[in-house]
Amino acid sequence: MGSGWLNNFLLRLKTLVQRKRLDRDLEDEVAFHLAMRAEKNRAAGAADDEAHYAAHRQFGNVTSVRERSREMWTFVSLETLWRDFTYALRTLAKRPGFAATAILTLGLGIGSSTAIFSVIENVLIQPFPYPGADRMMGLEIHDPSRGESEGRVEYPGSEFLDYIEKNQVFDRVIANASQDVLYDMGDGTERFHGVLTTPGTFEFFGMPALLGRIMEASDYEPGAPPVFVLGYKTWIANFGGDPDVLNKAFVLNGVQRTLVGIMPPRFGWGAGDVYFPAKPTRSTAPVGGEFPPAWYLIGHLKPGVTVPEAEADLTVVANQLARVYPKSYPEHFTVKLFSLTEMVVGRFRATLYLTLAAVGLLLLIACANVANLLLARATAREREFALRSALGASRWRLIRQLLVESLILSVCGGALGVVLATMGLQSLVSLVPPRTIASETVIRLNAPVLLVSLGIAILTPLLFGLVPALRAARKDLEQPLRDSSKGTTGASGNARFRDTVIVGEVALSFALLVAAGLLMRSFMALRQIDFGFRSDHVLVTRLPLPPDRYKTAAQVTSFFRPLLARLKSLPGVVDAAESSTLPPYASFASEPEVSGKIHPEKWTTLFQLCSEGYFSVLHIQLLEGRTFSEAEVNDARHRSIVNRSFVRRYLGRDNPIGQRIRLSDLENFPDKVQDPWFEVIGVVGDALNQGLHEPTQPEVWLPYTVTGSGQRGVLVRTAGDPMMLMNSLRLEVWATDHSVPLTYTGSMDDFISSQSFAGPRFGFVMMTIFAAVGFVLVSIGVYSVVAYGAARRTQEIGIRMALGASRGSAIRLVLSMGMRVVFLGIVVGLTASLALSRIIAGQLWQVSARDPITMAGVALLLLATGALACWVPATRTSGVEPMVALRYE
Amino acid sequence: MAERNEQSGELLQGTLDLLILKALVRGPMHGYGVAEWIHESSHEVLRVEEGALYPALHRLELRGLLSSEWGTSDNNRRAKYYALTTAGKKQLMEETEYWRRMSGAVARVLQTA
Repeated sequence: MGSGWLNNFLLRLKTLVQRKRLDRDLEDEVAFHLAMRAEKNRAAGAADDEAHYAAHRQFGNVTSVRERSREMWTFVSLETLWRDFTYALRTLAKRPGFAATAILTLGLGIGSSTAIFSVIENVLIQPFPYPGADRMMGLEIHDPSRGESEGRVEYPGSEFLDYIEKNQVFDRVIANASQDVLYDMGDGTERFHGVLTTPGTFEFFGMPALLGRIMEASDYEPGAPPVFVLGYKTWIANFGGDPDVLNKAFVLNGVQRTLVGIMPPRFGWGAGDVYFPAKPTRSTAPVGGEFPPAWYLIGHLKPGVTVPEAEADLTVVANQLARVYPKSYPEHFTVKLFSLTEMVVGRFRATLYLTLAAVGLLLLIACANVANLLLARATAREREFALRSALGASRWRLIRQLLVESLILSVCGGALGVVLATMGLQSLVSLVPPRTIASETVIRLNAPVLLVSLGIAILTPLLFGLVPALRAARKDLEQPLRDSSKGTTGASGNARFRDTVIVGEVALSFALLVAAGLLMRSFMALRQIDFGFRSDHVLVTRLPLPPDRYKTAAQVTSFFRPLLARLKSLPGVVDAAESSTLPPYASFASEPEVSGKIHPEKWTTLFQLCSEGYFSVLHIQLLEGRTFSEAEVNDARHRSIVNRSFVRRYLGRDNPIGQRIRLSDLENFPDKVQDPWFEVIGVVGDALNQGLHEPTQPEVWLPYTVTGSGQRGVLVRTAGDPMMLMNSLRLEVWATDHSVPLTYTGSMDDFISSQSFAGPRFGFVMMTIFAAVGFVLVSIGVYSVVAYGAARRTQEIGIRMALGASRGSAIRLVLSMGMRVVFLGIVVGLTASLALSRIIAGQLWQVSARDPITMAGVALLLLATGALACWVPATRTSGVEPMVALRYE
Repeated sequence: MAERNEQSGELLQGTLDLLILKALVRGPMHGYGVAEWIHESSHEVLRVEEGALYPALHRLELRGLLSSEWGTSDNNRRAKYYALTTAGKKQLMEETEYWRRMSGAVARVLQTA
């Protein structure tokens, strides 16, 4: 009888909605019956009253009839569920503090852990959309005698081909190299970041083009028509996402190339604007006046080959190659493979796992807090449940009611968590420093993580919310009813559990706060580094000169001499200089020779090219001799200036002025320097030349006019805000040569900040968010547990005070109850932080991972917070009138 | 939500449903009318307990054998009128047939010496 069942259901459903109406109908029907009966009785001759009563007598129990009908008409279980729901809302509303705390705690826990994990997952764990990215390996020739991060990852064409031929562990090997690409748009020249790709690169990453096609094998053949592929971001930024640019020809670096494909948004290998096909050759001859490309090699491991096996095989190859190219390999080296993912995660793997653990623990703190709150509440409600049980409520009924209460908390907390996660992620994304994460990265909410944390957070209240019901069902009913004293002895097992949780929370919070504090101090130390030069009030720009017209030293000089003169005459400009690099980095490295000195060990020095104004623009201190004169620079005389490290390491006690240095690498420049001997005319103080973290290396400066090779830029010292002069700088550059673009233009402070501070700042902000959320949660945890404990002991305290105890002693009693736990937590946290200090040490700069100031500061902060969290309930409890306390229920 | 066994007073179990269905063959009627009709047409032998009548009516309605509508009685009161549905008519026929066979069988048993 399918339709009957359906009919039945629909009728019930109807009455569920029209509840009131059903009641009235039942009432009316019975009333009608009684009236008719009474009328009949009257007609038979009974008096009015008698007729009425007789009708009722005949009918029997009216209420019972109504009840039976009503039960038939409605969904009984749904009805009671609704009653449970409203009852739960009422109970929760009676203690809004409890409900708000629980919901807020859950929301914070879910929200923050999901947001932070989403960032970590997208930025560090899965930044690449390429299938099999974990088996794509970069190759590093690591020099153990230098720093952990020192190694060579780029290879000339000949070595690239050797590795392809000789290795037995990769099934595919590709490489990319960077190139400045100048595009004349008519109203100015745009510089693109060009990426040279070797055959098979696009197939290697397994991503089809968004529009058009990827490179094909024929594009790499000599004499093939020149083509290029465009990156998505550049397509949007420079061409407004116009699909009509496809198959059009563009003049790039003076060559007409056809745009054959546009890549999808998440293809970003080499962070290229444009991709060119290129086939590495064994020739070391410069191509078109430029340095031969240095190839960044990536191999895909054959199936079944492990990383150690591959490293062993490649070590054999590298040892063979070291004999062929002795200059390119250090005396002792190891071969390291690193996956694409490691490329991003790098040395921070340990910290990453620590952070992940912290995320999980944060969620655990939140859950523990809620569990604690519910347990505390449960204990307080033991009597209520015993009473209800004694009055006949079934065990299932009690459990159901608690489940409903917990579910309300879970759902509200979960909803808040989702909102917080979304908002938190948005603000975190805006904090992520530009150019520090892989360009393939898309940061979005991680759905599985959100579900897991929601799941955990929803299960916790359900689980712990059930405790009182189970206890009420298990326990002998009379005991809690008799136990009206709410004595201190009650539920000591519970109390111990709560205390343990709080100790753990405080310890964890301590560790997080210490980590945040250390990163902050390290960041501050980083900001206070003495660069050895002044980075304020300096405007910088890199100027990629069109390689077809600027090959020789004379050509380059003919651009910079008038430009520097124009810049110096601008109002607001103090001085201007040419520089082959932007500090705190140097351009080139070479093995120096000093005339009259023979040395057994290998010498290396950094060197770079500059004009005479360089040292005054950067305020680098002159220690001995003098700096270049204008004439020396203009005539490209073979003079040099060295830094103090160079003198100390290679010149010893001799007077440095007048010594002669040979830099043999200049002979390999595309624009060769003949007889590269240089006379030292001055010594300057050490300025950072390997980034902010590494010590200053020996360095030599030469007049920029000695060669036409290498990258070029200008540094301008300004009187006021350097950004104000940006437009003038651009106009002067274009007035000198319209086809020269400006790249990386901005103030040097901003440049250094985004290069060197943004990463640490991000790490420190992330950790601070962690620590702050953890801290709030722990404060809530301590407060709720102490407040609950104090409430349980209100009566006891009342008795004590009635017997003459002072208010102060009552406060002390409550304070000692909470502070004992907080103190224990701090001790555990301190021990853990000291034990784990090694993990964070790699991220710190000039701050010990066991920094006593940070430790002491955090300990004080937690003690103070703990005291405050205890103080509120302590004063509240002790302020109660003894008589009220004694009657306290 | 199992249906409870109705205490149908002096009536045999299940008989009340049959009588209600029969009472409504002549057309829609309110609960009081059903009780009165059974009382009268049984020559005042059968008395329907009101405590059983209304739950039975509601049960039959839920089973889809009856439909109901609010209307106005002869003396201008608001009353709920019950009517047989198609399923109800079918059920009545089946039950009547069953009843005839059963009562005939019982009578035959009683007649045997």
